[in-house]
Amino acid sequence: MTATHERELRRALNDTLQSVHPSPPPVETIVRRGKSIRMRRGVVLSAVGLAGVIAATSLGLGGGQHAAAPPAAATITAGPNGVFASGTANGHPWQLAVQNIADPGYSCLPAITLNGIDADPVYPAPGTAAVVGLGQPGHQVGYAFVQLPADVNAIVVNGDTNVPAVSASVCGWHYRVAGFAYSLAEPLRVTVANPPADWPPAFSMPVVSIQPPSKTTTAENPGLWINANTARVESASGTAAWGDLPNKEQWAIKVQFGTGGDCYEFDAISSSGSTQMGYCGPVSTPDGPATIMALPLGFANGNGATGYALPESPATDHITATLSNGSTEQATSCLVDGRAYAAFIVPDPLTLTKLTWFDANGQAIASTTALPRYGYVQFQP
Amino acid sequence: MLLGGVEPVVFNPRDEMAAVPDVISEDSSEDFRSFAASRWPGLVRLAFGLTGDRWLAEDIAQTALARAYVAWRRVSRADDPDAYVRRILVNASNRRFRRRRVTEQPGELPDLPVDGPADLIGERAALLTALHQLPPRQRAVIVLRYWQDLTDAQIAAALGCSPGTVRSQLSRALAKLRVDPALGEGDDR
Repeated sequence: MTATHERELRRALNDTLQSVHPSPPPVETIVRRGKSIRMRRGVVLSAVGLAGVIAATSLGLGGGQHAAAPPAAATITAGPNGVFASGTANGHPWQLAVQNIADPGYSCLPAITLNGIDADPVYPAPGTAAVVGLGQPGHQVGYAFVQLPADVNAIVVNGDTNVPAVSASVCGWHYRVAGFAYSLAEPLRVTVANPPADWPPAFSMPVVSIQPPSKTTTAENPGLWINANTARVESASGTAAWGDLPNKEQWAIKVQFGTGGDCYEFDAISSSGSTQMGYCGPVSTPDGPATIMALPLGFANGNGATGYALPESPATDHITATLSNGSTEQATSCLVDGRAYAAFIVPDPLTLTKLTWFDANGQAIASTTALPRYGYVQFQP
Repeated sequence: MLLGGVEPVVFNPRDEMAAVPDVISEDSSEDFRSFAASRWPGLVRLAFGLTGDRWLAEDIAQTALARAYVAWRRVSRADDPDAYVRRILVNASNRRFRRRRVTEQPGELPDLPVDGPADLIGERAALLTALHQLPPRQRAVIVLRYWQDLTDAQIAAALGCSPGTVRSQLSRALAKLRVDPALGEGDDR
């Protein structure tokens, strides 16, 4: 390549890149993401009043009396695979663990898991003070954990059961957590003995209710994590899929992963404006059920589409959607903070009739026709 | 939910960017906002050159600036804060390419800018197609050299390699562009 040609390359490159007109600088979004990264990376150096005291019940009980102080306990270390609480409830074994839920080979992502399937991201900084998991409705058992600061040795459940803090490490971070099972038939009260002076006397959690699973929800899902923290913390985000419609309107499906769960934003953009829809679903572990999310996309010209997004298990190479006209479409994939997601849209009036999971050898490993038009269902591929 | 009302001081010993606890003061925060706003267009364009995708470019630019925010105390004191952010951006871009498993389809023309006369649009499309055929590092060398006008040493710093590697990557990239049919003129280019 001669100097002349290099000058031409420089000119063409400059022309091409200058023709890009970025959106206005999203400075506040950047700062929020930066703070989220700081939180995610954090190791708490100072003794921070951190964890939660929860009162959670379908009756919405609150209130604030403290239980008697439990005796100081020696530090208890989590067992193999990060298990920090386990037992049998109504004949069903359960265990809570601190585990890495990132796909193999990607950056470590710590979470609390229930029976290795449902999960909730957990941070060493405030933001995941308390989370409640609800068991399968038929079992009438719920599961909960509380992340505790260094100077709290135990929690008290319903005034008389001491649950000690257990130390667990994952991804190079250390956690002190207390986990337990409880009956969904009774009010739940969790208190902390000798809370730091600046703590409120008690915390009330929003009323927890769980809808019975629909007929299209598979039975493999033993529960749904409900994050007690109303202030969602975003851990990571990315664009899972995007594209143009024939009429030049654009769409994008974005993923935000954090304490709110797997949250999706479906965007439709045209010259006359944009629309957004967002919804959060439960977090699945790599071996857990896939939450198939569906949300409508409305375009400016009155046409519509339905956007779909779902996490991909490590065994999945790609996912194919079969539409009502018999055509197939391969979902695009992206990786957000060590978790793989797939997404695609189905333009109206077509509908999604089937999803098929394929492994790296091109072999179909699972499929389902139980698909949502709005909201989500869970499916174990 | 911050129950204790006390902001934690955080650090991550595994992360070079967080070797010093980062507590950003109000003034520093304003400095960062000003920095981010002024650099945003250039970073998006650089990321677009590296990825060929407008959506991804904005996301990567956000990622780079968010990481700069995390280490802002150190970044702002660096001799060349832009070099620091540029390196973060290039790394973020490369990670995206490594991680995307199914969508990465070399040869497929991605999102294009559409401003300008038809012949210019065609030229841009051809150039982006040709760039997309290059491996990420060679693509980065081309963009950093011919758009950002960086020296070998500056490019090496951005890519985390030696100046010699930059020269060899540049040579290979130019050789490929010279014969790339997408650029249309073969040896004339």
